[in-house]
Amino acid sequence: MAQLTKRGLIAAVVCSDTFMKLGTAQAKVFGVPDLPLLKIQHPLGGLNMDKVIERAGVALPQLIKVVKDKQT
Amino acid sequence: MLKAPGAMVQCDDDPEAVYEFLCEKGWSDGLPVIPPTPERVERMLAYCDRDLDKAVVKIPPRFGAATPLRIAANAVMAGCKPEYFPLVLLALETLAEEQYNLYGTQATTHPCTPMLIFNGPIAKEVGLNSGNNVMGNYFRANAAIGRAVRLALVNIGAAIPGTGDMATAGTPAKFTFCVAENEDASPWEPLHVELGLPKEATTVTAIAAEGPHNVNDHESNTPEGILTMIAGTMANTGSNNAYYDGQPVMAFGPEHAQTVASGGMKKADVKQWLWERATIPLSKFSKEGIERRFRRKLADRFAHAPLDTPVHMWGKPEDLIIIVTGGAGKHSQWVPTFGNTRAATRALKRADGELVKSIHELKRG
Repeated sequence: MAQLTKRGLIAAVVCSDTFMKLGTAQAKVFGVPDLPLLKIQHPLGGLNMDKVIERAGVALPQLIKVVKDKQT
Repeated sequence: MLKAPGAMVQCDDDPEAVYEFLCEKGWSDGLPVIPPTPERVERMLAYCDRDLDKAVVKIPPRFGAATPLRIAANAVMAGCKPEYFPLVLLALETLAEEQYNLYGTQATTHPCTPMLIFNGPIAKEVGLNSGNNVMGNYFRANAAIGRAVRLALVNIGAAIPGTGDMATAGTPAKFTFCVAENEDASPWEPLHVELGLPKEATTVTAIAAEGPHNVNDHESNTPEGILTMIAGTMANTGSNNAYYDGQPVMAFGPEHAQTVASGGMKKADVKQWLWERATIPLSKFSKEGIERRFRRKLADRFAHAPLDTPVHMWGKPEDLIIIVTGGAGKHSQWVPTFGNTRAATRALKRADGELVKSIHELKRG
Protein backbone atom coordinates (compact mmCIF):
# COMPACT_ATOMS: atom_id res chain seq x y z
CA MET A 1 0.00 0.00 0.00
CA ALA A 2 2.91 2.30 0.72
CA GLN A 3 4.20 1.74 -2.81
CA LEU A 4 0.77 2.37 -4.34
CA THR A 5 0.42 5.57 -2.33
CA LYS A 6 3.83 6.76 -3.45
CA ARG A 7 2.78 6.16 -7.05
CA GLY A 8 -0.18 8.46 -6.59
CA LEU A 9 -2.93 5.91 -6.29
CA ILE A 10 -5.53 6.04 -3.58
CA ALA A 11 -4.71 3.28 -1.12
CA ALA A 12 -5.85 2.31 2.36
CA VAL A 13 -5.27 -0.52 4.81
CA VAL A 14 -7.93 -2.35 6.76
CA CYS A 15 -6.65 -2.60 10.31
CA SER A 16 -8.24 -4.05 13.42
CA ASP A 17 -8.27 -1.80 16.47
CA THR A 18 -5.70 -3.95 18.30
CA PHE A 19 -3.25 -3.48 15.45
CA MET A 20 -3.72 0.29 14.99
CA LYS A 21 -0.48 1.20 16.77
CA LEU A 22 1.49 -1.21 14.61
CA GLY A 23 -0.27 0.05 11.48
CA THR A 24 0.40 3.68 12.34
CA ALA A 25 4.05 3.00 13.12
CA GLN A 26 4.52 0.99 9.92
CA ALA A 27 2.98 3.73 7.78
CA LYS A 28 5.60 6.11 9.16
CA VAL A 29 8.41 3.57 8.65
CA PHE A 30 7.40 3.09 5.02
CA GLY A 31 7.30 6.84 4.40
CA VAL A 32 3.54 7.29 4.10
CA PRO A 33 2.51 8.61 7.53
CA ASP A 34 -0.88 9.72 6.21
CA LEU A 35 -1.78 6.30 4.82
CA PRO A 36 -5.45 5.84 5.74
CA LEU A 37 -6.12 2.99 8.16
CA LEU A 38 -9.69 1.70 7.99
CA LYS A 39 -10.37 0.77 11.59
CA ILE A 40 -12.48 -2.29 12.33
CA GLN A 41 -13.11 -4.30 15.45
CA HIS A 42 -10.60 -7.04 16.33
CA PRO A 43 -10.37 -9.91 15.46
CA LEU A 44 -10.27 -10.29 11.73
CA GLY A 45 -9.38 -13.98 11.73
CA GLY A 46 -11.76 -16.80 12.60
CA LEU A 47 -14.98 -14.93 11.79
CA ASN A 48 -18.14 -16.32 10.29
CA MET A 49 -19.57 -14.60 7.23
CA ASP A 50 -22.03 -12.49 9.21
CA LYS A 51 -19.20 -10.96 11.20
CA VAL A 52 -17.11 -10.41 8.08
CA ILE A 53 -20.02 -8.53 6.49
CA GLU A 54 -20.44 -6.53 9.68
CA ARG A 55 -16.81 -5.43 9.59
CA ALA A 56 -17.02 -4.66 5.89
CA GLY A 57 -19.95 -2.43 6.73
CA VAL A 58 -17.74 -0.51 9.15
CA ALA A 59 -14.79 -0.29 6.75
CA LEU A 60 -16.69 0.67 3.61
CA PRO A 61 -17.88 4.15 4.68
CA GLN A 62 -14.33 4.92 5.78
CA LEU A 63 -13.06 3.86 2.39
CA ILE A 64 -15.64 5.98 0.58
CA LYS A 65 -14.61 8.98 2.68
CA VAL A 66 -10.94 8.39 1.84
CA VAL A 67 -11.73 8.30 -1.88
CA LYS A 68 -13.93 11.40 -1.72
CA ASP A 69 -11.36 13.34 0.32
CA LYS A 70 -8.60 12.47 -2.10
CA GLN A 71 -10.66 13.59 -5.08
CA THR A 72 -11.49 17.00 -3.63
CA MET B 1 37.09 6.71 22.98
CA LEU B 2 33.93 6.26 20.94
CA LYS B 3 32.18 9.32 19.64
CA ALA B 4 28.45 8.84 19.76
CA PRO B 5 27.09 11.90 21.53
CA GLY B 6 23.68 11.64 19.86
CA ALA B 7 23.11 8.29 21.46
CA MET B 8 24.29 9.26 24.94
CA VAL B 9 21.98 9.43 27.92
CA GLN B 10 22.87 9.99 31.54
CA CYS B 11 21.51 8.58 34.75
CA ASP B 12 22.59 7.78 38.29
CA ASP B 13 25.24 5.05 38.22
CA ASP B 14 23.69 3.06 41.06
CA PRO B 15 22.81 -0.38 39.60
CA GLU B 16 19.20 -0.21 40.75
CA ALA B 17 18.82 3.30 39.34
CA VAL B 18 20.23 2.16 36.00
CA TYR B 19 17.84 -0.79 35.98
CA GLU B 20 14.87 1.46 36.75
CA PHE B 21 15.96 3.98 34.12
CA LEU B 22 16.33 1.42 31.34
CA CYS B 23 13.06 -0.32 32.19
CA GLU B 24 11.25 3.01 32.13
CA LYS B 25 12.76 3.74 28.73
CA GLY B 26 11.72 0.29 27.50
CA TRP B 27 15.33 -0.64 26.77
CA SER B 28 15.41 -3.94 28.61
CA ASP B 29 13.93 -7.41 28.45
CA GLY B 30 12.62 -6.90 31.97
CA LEU B 31 15.76 -8.22 33.65
CA PRO B 32 18.66 -6.13 34.92
CA VAL B 33 21.27 -5.21 32.33
CA ILE B 34 24.86 -4.01 32.34
CA PRO B 35 24.92 -0.26 31.62
CA PRO B 36 26.34 0.25 28.12
CA THR B 37 28.83 2.98 28.90
CA PRO B 38 31.11 4.18 26.08
CA GLU B 39 34.05 2.41 27.72
CA ARG B 40 32.20 -0.91 27.87
CA VAL B 41 30.89 -0.59 24.32
CA GLU B 42 34.39 0.11 23.10
CA ARG B 43 35.72 -2.98 24.88
CA MET B 44 32.88 -5.03 23.36
CA LEU B 45 34.13 -4.09 19.91
CA ALA B 46 37.60 -5.52 20.51
CA TYR B 47 36.82 -8.49 18.25
CA CYS B 48 34.97 -6.63 15.52
CA ASP B 49 36.67 -6.09 12.16
CA ARG B 50 33.72 -4.27 10.56
CA ASP B 51 32.92 -0.64 9.96
CA LEU B 52 31.37 0.36 13.27
CA ASP B 53 28.77 2.66 11.71
CA LYS B 54 27.71 0.55 8.74
CA ALA B 55 24.49 -1.37 9.30
CA VAL B 56 24.75 -5.15 8.96
CA VAL B 57 20.95 -5.38 8.94
CA LYS B 58 17.96 -3.09 9.20
CA ILE B 59 15.74 -4.66 11.80
CA PRO B 60 11.97 -4.55 11.26
CA PRO B 61 9.37 -3.44 12.12
CA ARG B 62 11.14 -0.09 12.69
CA PHE B 63 13.85 -1.02 10.17
CA GLY B 64 16.37 0.41 12.59
CA ALA B 65 19.96 0.37 11.36
CA ALA B 66 21.81 -2.31 13.28
CA THR B 67 25.37 -1.05 13.18
CA PRO B 68 28.13 -2.85 15.07
CA LEU B 69 28.19 0.12 17.44
CA ARG B 70 24.52 -0.21 18.32
CA ILE B 71 24.68 -3.99 18.46
CA ALA B 72 27.66 -3.73 20.81
CA ALA B 73 25.62 -1.60 23.21
CA ASN B 74 23.02 -4.35 23.32
CA ALA B 75 25.71 -7.00 23.75
CA VAL B 76 27.07 -5.11 26.75
CA MET B 77 23.58 -4.90 28.22
CA ALA B 78 23.08 -8.64 27.71
CA GLY B 79 26.28 -9.57 29.56
CA CYS B 80 28.37 -10.67 26.58
CA LYS B 81 32.12 -11.05 26.67
CA PRO B 82 33.84 -9.25 23.75
CA GLU B 83 34.72 -12.69 22.33
CA TYR B 84 31.00 -13.41 21.89
CA PHE B 85 30.38 -10.29 19.86
CA PRO B 86 31.27 -11.68 16.40
CA LEU B 87 28.70 -14.43 16.98
CA VAL B 88 26.02 -11.91 17.92
CA LEU B 89 26.82 -9.96 14.76
CA LEU B 90 26.76 -13.15 12.69
CA ALA B 91 23.39 -14.13 14.12
CA LEU B 92 21.84 -10.78 13.22
CA GLU B 93 23.30 -10.89 9.72
CA THR B 94 21.75 -14.33 9.33
CA LEU B 95 18.34 -13.13 10.48
CA ALA B 96 18.49 -10.61 7.64
CA GLU B 97 18.42 -13.41 5.03
CA GLU B 98 15.18 -12.97 3.12
CA GLN B 99 13.95 -16.52 3.58
CA TYR B 100 14.03 -16.14 7.35
CA ASN B 101 11.22 -13.56 7.11
CA LEU B 102 12.38 -11.36 9.97
CA TYR B 103 9.56 -8.88 9.44
CA GLY B 104 6.89 -11.52 9.77
CA THR B 105 8.52 -13.27 12.68
CA GLN B 106 9.01 -10.03 14.59
CA ALA B 107 5.45 -8.79 14.32
CA THR B 108 3.42 -12.01 14.31
CA THR B 109 0.96 -13.16 16.94
CA HIS B 110 2.71 -16.58 16.88
CA PRO B 111 5.17 -17.34 19.70
CA CYS B 112 8.34 -17.59 17.64
CA THR B 113 11.85 -16.35 18.33
CA PRO B 114 15.24 -16.91 16.70
CA MET B 115 16.60 -20.31 17.69
CA LEU B 116 20.34 -20.01 17.13
CA ILE B 117 22.24 -23.23 16.45
CA PHE B 118 26.02 -22.82 16.44
CA ASN B 119 28.40 -25.31 14.87
CA GLY B 120 32.13 -25.42 14.47
CA PRO B 121 35.26 -24.76 16.51
CA ILE B 122 34.53 -21.24 17.75
CA ALA B 123 31.33 -22.36 19.43
CA LYS B 124 33.51 -24.46 21.68
CA GLU B 125 36.24 -21.81 21.91
CA VAL B 126 33.91 -19.17 23.37
CA GLY B 127 32.27 -21.65 25.73
CA LEU B 128 28.87 -22.25 24.17
CA ASN B 129 27.25 -25.14 25.97
CA SER B 130 26.21 -28.20 23.97
CA GLY B 131 25.82 -30.58 26.91
CA ASN B 132 23.54 -30.87 29.92
CA ASN B 133 20.78 -28.26 30.11
CA VAL B 134 21.73 -26.94 26.67
CA MET B 135 18.39 -25.21 26.22
CA GLY B 136 18.20 -24.08 29.82
CA ASN B 137 19.90 -21.61 32.10
CA TYR B 138 23.36 -21.23 33.65
CA PHE B 139 25.78 -20.96 30.73
CA ARG B 140 26.91 -17.43 30.05
CA ALA B 141 27.62 -17.69 26.33
CA ASN B 142 24.27 -19.30 25.54
CA ALA B 143 22.42 -16.89 27.79
CA ALA B 144 24.17 -13.69 26.72
CA ILE B 145 24.45 -14.26 22.96
CA GLY B 146 20.76 -15.11 22.60
CA ARG B 147 19.82 -12.29 24.93
CA ALA B 148 21.92 -9.78 22.99
CA VAL B 149 20.12 -10.73 19.79
CA ARG B 150 16.72 -10.34 21.45
CA LEU B 151 17.68 -6.96 22.94
CA ALA B 152 18.79 -5.79 19.49
CA LEU B 153 15.49 -6.95 18.01
CA VAL B 154 13.65 -4.89 20.62
CA ASN B 155 15.88 -1.85 21.01
CA ILE B 156 16.93 -1.41 17.38
CA GLY B 157 14.01 -3.09 15.61
CA ALA B 158 11.22 -1.96 17.97
CA ALA B 159 9.80 -5.44 18.52
CA ILE B 160 7.92 -4.01 21.49
CA PRO B 161 5.05 -6.12 22.79
CA GLY B 162 1.69 -4.73 21.77
CA THR B 163 3.00 -2.30 19.17
CA GLY B 164 5.74 -4.00 17.15
CA ASP B 165 5.69 -7.53 18.53
CA MET B 166 2.08 -8.66 18.45
CA ALA B 167 2.66 -12.11 19.99
CA THR B 168 -0.47 -13.32 21.71
CA ALA B 169 1.47 -15.02 24.50
CA GLY B 170 5.08 -15.17 23.30
CA THR B 171 7.46 -17.74 24.70
CA PRO B 172 10.08 -17.89 27.47
CA ALA B 173 12.50 -18.70 24.63
CA LYS B 174 12.38 -14.99 23.75
CA PHE B 175 14.80 -14.30 26.57
CA THR B 176 17.38 -16.49 24.82
CA PHE B 177 17.33 -19.60 22.64
CA CYS B 178 20.91 -20.30 21.72
CA VAL B 179 22.56 -23.72 21.54
CA ALA B 180 25.64 -25.39 20.15
CA GLU B 181 25.42 -28.78 18.50
CA ASN B 182 27.11 -31.55 20.49
CA GLU B 183 29.22 -32.61 17.53
CA ASP B 184 31.43 -34.91 19.59
CA ALA B 185 28.45 -36.94 20.79
CA SER B 186 26.67 -37.14 17.45
CA PRO B 187 26.66 -40.30 15.34
CA TRP B 188 25.96 -38.15 12.28
CA GLU B 189 27.70 -35.33 10.45
CA PRO B 190 27.07 -31.95 12.12
CA LEU B 191 24.48 -29.61 10.67
CA HIS B 192 26.90 -27.25 8.93
CA VAL B 193 28.71 -30.13 7.22
CA GLU B 194 25.38 -31.58 6.10
CA LEU B 195 24.66 -28.17 4.55
CA GLY B 196 27.89 -28.31 2.57
CA LEU B 197 30.13 -26.12 4.70
CA PRO B 198 33.62 -27.19 5.82
CA LYS B 199 33.89 -28.83 9.22
CA GLU B 200 36.37 -26.13 10.31
CA ALA B 201 33.81 -23.39 9.61
CA THR B 202 31.93 -21.83 12.49
CA THR B 203 28.32 -21.28 11.58
CA VAL B 204 25.01 -20.20 12.94
CA THR B 205 21.71 -21.53 11.71
CA ALA B 206 18.75 -19.36 12.62
CA ILE B 207 15.26 -20.78 12.84
CA ALA B 208 12.07 -18.90 13.73
CA ALA B 209 11.12 -21.36 16.41
CA GLU B 210 8.71 -22.03 19.21
CA GLY B 211 10.17 -23.18 22.47
CA PRO B 212 11.21 -26.84 22.63
CA HIS B 213 8.75 -29.66 23.28
CA ASN B 214 10.21 -32.61 25.17
CA VAL B 215 10.20 -36.23 23.96
CA ASN B 216 10.66 -38.57 26.92
CA ASP B 217 11.50 -42.15 25.97
CA HIS B 218 13.20 -44.32 28.56
CA GLU B 219 11.79 -47.57 27.25
CA SER B 220 12.54 -47.88 23.55
CA ASN B 221 15.84 -49.49 22.64
CA THR B 222 15.41 -49.69 18.88
CA PRO B 223 15.54 -46.99 16.20
CA GLU B 224 11.91 -47.60 15.34
CA GLY B 225 10.90 -47.37 18.98
CA ILE B 226 12.56 -43.99 19.56
CA LEU B 227 11.31 -42.61 16.26
CA THR B 228 7.76 -43.79 16.95
CA MET B 229 7.73 -41.76 20.15
CA ILE B 230 9.17 -38.74 18.38
CA ALA B 231 6.67 -38.95 15.54
CA GLY B 232 3.88 -39.02 18.08
CA THR B 233 5.19 -35.87 19.75
CA MET B 234 5.54 -34.07 16.43
CA ALA B 235 1.98 -34.69 15.34
CA ASN B 236 -0.29 -32.08 16.88
CA THR B 237 -3.08 -30.13 15.31
CA GLY B 238 -2.23 -26.71 16.74
CA SER B 239 1.19 -26.45 15.12
CA ASN B 240 1.90 -23.96 12.33
CA ASN B 241 3.98 -26.69 10.73
CA ALA B 242 0.81 -28.59 9.86
CA TYR B 243 -0.15 -25.79 7.47
CA TYR B 244 3.03 -24.08 6.25
CA ASP B 245 6.31 -25.13 4.71
CA GLY B 246 8.63 -24.24 7.56
CA GLN B 247 11.63 -26.26 8.63
CA PRO B 248 11.09 -27.61 12.12
CA VAL B 249 13.98 -28.92 14.21
CA MET B 250 14.46 -32.31 15.77
CA ALA B 251 17.13 -31.91 18.42
CA PHE B 252 18.10 -35.42 19.42
CA GLY B 253 19.62 -36.05 22.80
CA PRO B 254 22.88 -37.95 22.26
CA GLU B 255 21.55 -41.18 23.74
CA HIS B 256 18.45 -41.23 21.56
CA ALA B 257 20.63 -40.34 18.55
CA GLN B 258 22.98 -43.25 19.23
CA THR B 259 20.07 -45.67 19.46
CA VAL B 260 18.52 -44.37 16.22
CA ALA B 261 21.86 -44.55 14.39
CA SER B 262 22.71 -48.00 15.78
CA GLY B 263 20.84 -49.72 12.97
CA GLY B 264 22.65 -47.71 10.31
CA MET B 265 20.10 -44.98 9.69
CA LYS B 266 21.57 -41.80 8.22
CA LYS B 267 20.03 -38.37 8.73
CA ALA B 268 18.18 -38.61 5.42
CA ASP B 269 16.69 -41.96 6.46
CA VAL B 270 15.51 -40.49 9.74
CA LYS B 271 13.90 -37.54 7.98
CA GLN B 272 12.08 -39.80 5.56
CA TRP B 273 10.92 -42.16 8.34
CA LEU B 274 9.59 -39.34 10.48
CA TRP B 275 7.96 -37.48 7.58
CA GLU B 276 6.01 -40.60 6.66
CA ARG B 277 4.81 -41.24 10.21
CA ALA B 278 4.51 -37.81 11.83
CA THR B 279 1.05 -37.31 10.41
CA ILE B 280 -2.42 -36.49 11.60
CA PRO B 281 -5.55 -37.74 9.85
CA LEU B 282 -7.57 -34.85 8.50
CA SER B 283 -10.49 -35.91 10.71
CA LYS B 284 -8.55 -34.83 13.83
CA PHE B 285 -8.80 -31.17 12.85
CA SER B 286 -11.89 -29.13 13.66
CA LYS B 287 -14.74 -29.01 11.19
CA GLU B 288 -14.05 -25.30 10.66
CA GLY B 289 -10.33 -25.91 10.24
CA ILE B 290 -11.00 -28.53 7.61
CA GLU B 291 -13.47 -26.37 5.71
CA ARG B 292 -11.71 -23.03 5.93
CA ARG B 293 -8.06 -23.95 5.82
CA PHE B 294 -7.63 -27.38 4.27
CA ARG B 295 -10.47 -27.35 1.78
CA ARG B 296 -9.84 -23.74 0.64
CA LYS B 297 -6.36 -22.46 1.45
CA LEU B 298 -4.72 -25.84 0.85
CA ALA B 299 -7.15 -26.85 -1.87
CA ASP B 300 -4.49 -28.28 -4.16
CA ARG B 301 -4.01 -31.14 -1.73
CA PHE B 302 -7.16 -31.25 0.36
CA ALA B 303 -10.10 -29.84 -1.60
CA HIS B 304 -11.72 -33.26 -1.89
CA ALA B 305 -9.43 -35.31 0.34
CA PRO B 306 -11.08 -38.05 2.44
CA LEU B 307 -11.06 -37.48 6.19
CA ASP B 308 -8.48 -40.23 6.73
CA THR B 309 -5.96 -38.38 4.52
CA PRO B 310 -2.70 -37.94 6.44
CA VAL B 311 -1.56 -34.36 7.08
CA HIS B 312 2.23 -34.28 7.23
CA MET B 313 3.86 -32.10 9.84
CA TRP B 314 6.20 -30.47 7.34
CA GLY B 315 6.34 -30.14 3.57
CA LYS B 316 9.14 -32.34 2.31
CA PRO B 317 11.14 -34.97 4.20
CA GLU B 318 14.44 -33.13 3.72
CA ASP B 319 13.05 -29.97 5.30
CA LEU B 320 13.38 -31.41 8.79
CA ILE B 321 16.49 -30.05 10.49
CA ILE B 322 18.28 -32.62 12.63
CA ILE B 323 20.84 -31.78 15.27
CA VAL B 324 22.26 -33.61 18.26
CA THR B 325 22.58 -31.60 21.42
CA GLY B 326 22.37 -31.94 25.18
CA GLY B 327 23.88 -34.29 27.74
CA ALA B 328 23.11 -37.70 29.22
CA GLY B 329 19.53 -38.85 29.42
CA LYS B 330 16.67 -40.29 27.42
CA HIS B 331 15.18 -37.04 26.19
CA SER B 332 15.05 -35.23 22.87
CA GLN B 333 13.51 -31.94 21.83
CA TRP B 334 11.01 -31.22 19.08
CA VAL B 335 11.09 -27.59 17.99
CA PRO B 336 8.19 -26.45 15.78
CA THR B 337 8.47 -23.18 13.90
CA PHE B 338 6.57 -20.16 12.69
CA GLY B 339 5.99 -22.04 9.44
CA ASN B 340 6.15 -19.14 7.02
CA THR B 341 9.93 -19.06 7.30
CA ARG B 342 13.01 -20.92 6.16
CA ALA B 343 16.18 -21.56 8.10
CA ALA B 344 19.21 -19.45 7.29
CA THR B 345 22.84 -20.42 7.83
CA ARG B 346 25.97 -18.30 7.68
CA ALA B 347 29.63 -18.96 8.36
CA LEU B 348 31.79 -16.65 10.45
CA LYS B 349 34.18 -14.88 8.11
CA ARG B 350 36.74 -12.13 8.40
CA ALA B 351 36.18 -8.87 6.56
CA ASP B 352 38.41 -10.28 3.77
CA GLY B 353 36.01 -13.19 3.28
CA GLU B 354 38.17 -15.94 4.80
CA LEU B 355 36.70 -18.35 7.33
CA VAL B 356 37.58 -17.51 10.91
CA LYS B 357 39.36 -20.45 12.57
CA SER B 358 39.85 -18.84 15.97
CA ILE B 359 38.10 -15.88 17.53
CA HIS B 360 41.51 -14.32 18.21
CA GLU B 361 41.96 -13.68 14.47
CA LEU B 362 39.37 -10.93 14.88
CA LYS B 363 41.13 -9.13 17.73
CA ARG B 364 41.74 -5.51 16.86
CA GLY B 365 45.26 -4.15 17.01
